[in-house]
Amino acid sequence: MSTEVFAGPKEIPPQGPPPKPFHLPATTDFTLPNGLQVTIVPYGTVPKVAVRLFVGAGAIDESAAQVWLSKLNAALMKEGTRTRSAEQVAQEAADMGGQLELHAGSDFTSVGGVALSDFGPKFVALMAEVLTAAALPASELPRLTADLLRDLSIEKSQPESLVRERFLGTLFPDHPYGRVYPDESQLQGYTIEDTQSFYRKNFAAARTHLYVAGKLEGDLRGAIEDAFDGWAKGAPPPGMPAHPVKARSLQLIDRPGAPQSNLLIGLPVAEPSSPDYIQLDVMDSLLGGSFASRITSNIREDKGYTYSPSSKIGTRRHLAYWLQSADVATDVTGPAMDEIFYEIRRLQQDPPSAKELEGIQNYLAGLFVLRNTISPDAIIAQLHFVDSQGLDRSYLSTYTRKVMEVQPGDVQRMAATYLVPSQMTIVVVGDHAKIADQIAPYQ
Amino acid sequence: MPITYYKLPNGLRVILSPDSTAPTVVTAVYYRIGFRVEPKDRTGFAHLFEHMMFQGSRNLGKMEFIRLVQQNGGVLNGSTRFDFTNYFELLPSNKLETALWAEADRMQGLAITDENLKNQQDVVVNEVETSVLNQPYGGFPWLWMPQYANSNWYNSHNFYGELKDIKAATLSEVQAFFKTYYAPNNAALAIVGDFDPEQAQAMIAKYFSAIAPADLPTPPDLSEPRQEEEKTATRKDPLANRPALAFSYHMPPRNSPEYFAMGLLDQMLVQGDDSLLYQELVKKHGFTGEVGGAINELGNMFDYDGPMLWTAALFHDATVEPGRILSAIDEVVESLRSKPVDQSLVDRSVTKMRSSLYDTLTQFGGFGRADLMACYALFDDDPSKIDSLESEFRKVTPQLVERTAREYLRKTNRTVLLIDPGATMSLDGQDEQDGHDAPEE
Repeated sequence: MSTEVFAGPKEIPPQGPPPKPFHLPATTDFTLPNGLQVTIVPYGTVPKVAVRLFVGAGAIDESAAQVWLSKLNAALMKEGTRTRSAEQVAQEAADMGGQLELHAGSDFTSVGGVALSDFGPKFVALMAEVLTAAALPASELPRLTADLLRDLSIEKSQPESLVRERFLGTLFPDHPYGRVYPDESQLQGYTIEDTQSFYRKNFAAARTHLYVAGKLEGDLRGAIEDAFDGWAKGAPPPGMPAHPVKARSLQLIDRPGAPQSNLLIGLPVAEPSSPDYIQLDVMDSLLGGSFASRITSNIREDKGYTYSPSSKIGTRRHLAYWLQSADVATDVTGPAMDEIFYEIRRLQQDPPSAKELEGIQNYLAGLFVLRNTISPDAIIAQLHFVDSQGLDRSYLSTYTRKVMEVQPGDVQRMAATYLVPSQMTIVVVGDHAKIADQIAPYQ
Repeated sequence: MPITYYKLPNGLRVILSPDSTAPTVVTAVYYRIGFRVEPKDRTGFAHLFEHMMFQGSRNLGKMEFIRLVQQNGGVLNGSTRFDFTNYFELLPSNKLETALWAEADRMQGLAITDENLKNQQDVVVNEVETSVLNQPYGGFPWLWMPQYANSNWYNSHNFYGELKDIKAATLSEVQAFFKTYYAPNNAALAIVGDFDPEQAQAMIAKYFSAIAPADLPTPPDLSEPRQEEEKTATRKDPLANRPALAFSYHMPPRNSPEYFAMGLLDQMLVQGDDSLLYQELVKKHGFTGEVGGAINELGNMFDYDGPMLWTAALFHDATVEPGRILSAIDEVVESLRSKPVDQSLVDRSVTKMRSSLYDTLTQFGGFGRADLMACYALFDDDPSKIDSLESEFRKVTPQLVERTAREYLRKTNRTVLLIDPGATMSLDGQDEQDGHDAPEE
């Protein structure tokens, strides 16, 4: 029963005028003689500039005996250059309103930061020095190793880390993408020679793309040419093709006493260069990838089984996978799985209405504008995605049109073609004694 | 950037700040009711109530508000904080009127059912479990520290709410809370982005001026006494496997010279790898890999109005006694209390603060600017204060930094919170350990 009674028919929301035309920020692109690619994007009026160097080097370059060596290398790269101590680098960056940020991911290690625009050229030079003239001092290795051991131990106490480790390990056996965490003893065994050799082998101009975006001041191009002038060309990334597993499995990781079960359900789908990819994106947003999506409406807003369910398409270089995750109350673990698979089946059997699809299309069109305007780093992320996947930049300029062209039957076809339950990896972290029976039907 | 500020006859504070960089617009409604002030037997109620604002109003049934924003190409959220609860949408700029209509609709009243309430009680219990109860270090330190450092109930209760209180809330309590606090004279509406201020004013008048104001209750006394003795608390965390340490100092009164000096002290001590405590604890001693810290961990140093803590936290190894870490911290802090710092350190902190202010104001497509304008309108009746922040920080001298450190970075103004990991208790025992459950948005 409702406590507030409103009389009369409901009003129709005002629609507003037609949208203003949206133009992607223009880019200037060039390649230095040593192969370093550069993209410069003037954007906005806020006096800040983002500088990000993406080097095609990361977990992908680790052998099975080298898990997290790329992270140790990134940590060591923060420890100063051949001419500046780490403290000097940090202080100089701070005096420019910026900070050095280094991150080693699956396919890329990024080096960069966001500084006040006045210092753009000088900040580029400092970031270039960190990247090209890293000192990698042996003296800091024990401390950084201890830091990584602590990070590892803390991450492995988190249920979301455990579920992710098992999921990726199942999808990518015998591939670096599947080796999420090292053994402690392995991590303790890395020597300074190991990291120095990783750096020498994998860090070079031909594997690097520099993006600069924001309010631009000074001679950035000149600063870039000077800063990277003597850097070795090296070879492009060797590549390490992955063949993700498409096979049904149900894996339960016991967490006695847990009040919730962390679910992850997913499988490989078409890669970003596939003509199906944008249609998959639309399907995912409608099914579980947005607040108003079917799965979220069902298991959160109707049933109250969970707080933050969501689906998404994850990518690595030249591949993609779909996954649905949810932390659900222990006693409704089975029912939550039932509803997720019910929604998948429903979309496979019937196309969405034109109205439901149109709502998702408008959402993605609006989101696209936000993603390309919200910050210089967001703009860089869009460009880096396109470039790293080997897509043409027209992917961005045609994205909205392609989203709007998707038909209800396409969405149904994407769900039926790709979300095949018999090919799904299902991982559950939870209280074995209380959920084993609930999830048994999914063996 | 230009700011237009005025009040409707019903008391609604309106702040308009156009910026045509992108064809998007932020619409943000702030109600001056946060989790400090909630019924004493209903901890977590302000946050549960926030969820109910998405459950239905006169013209928008359950899920329809969310769908309306999404189908028009936008994103939305709400959050409950110390001194406000906010609701905002980031949309293509041609949809400003749609957002205003929808926000006005739910400012007029809620059309909700027992079923809606039960559903959101389940969702919020799941939220607390995901964020706190099933998470190592859950709620550390933001949820726990105020409970130990503060002594006034309004500042020291469980803001996420005890699960039994969340489950006990009734529909009539929800409607009473709405009638008490969700009135135009207790709210601010901020718009930032690509719009025409004159057209916006006409739309605001059309949709909001008929909403009746309410008689607002007298605000409770939120003040904290001066802390005279250092406090230390230890929490056992059966899910954690490394110890952690956090420390807090009570902040100077908002907008005082010392408050701005504390903003710079935060920059000097914990922001960035150049900071004094990073250099001491990470680089020199190797106690930890990073030191995180903030004034107001659930926002920033500008968007609150009451007693506040400056808090920093780190994870360490069991081989390092907390006492050693605290001695190292003391050495750095005492150096700031015993002599004026170099002008160059103040200058660097001002540069870092200026850079950080740009990030704060541009956060999430202009939402950050809306957040500060709405707060300065609600708390100070003067949103133009955001334009004077930089100059306030520039006024800070090395002598003021020393004086501020001497009073506010006193050991006796400090609370230390230790996490003792891997206790033998199972997850089931967590509720019993000291009666605290936990909140976030």
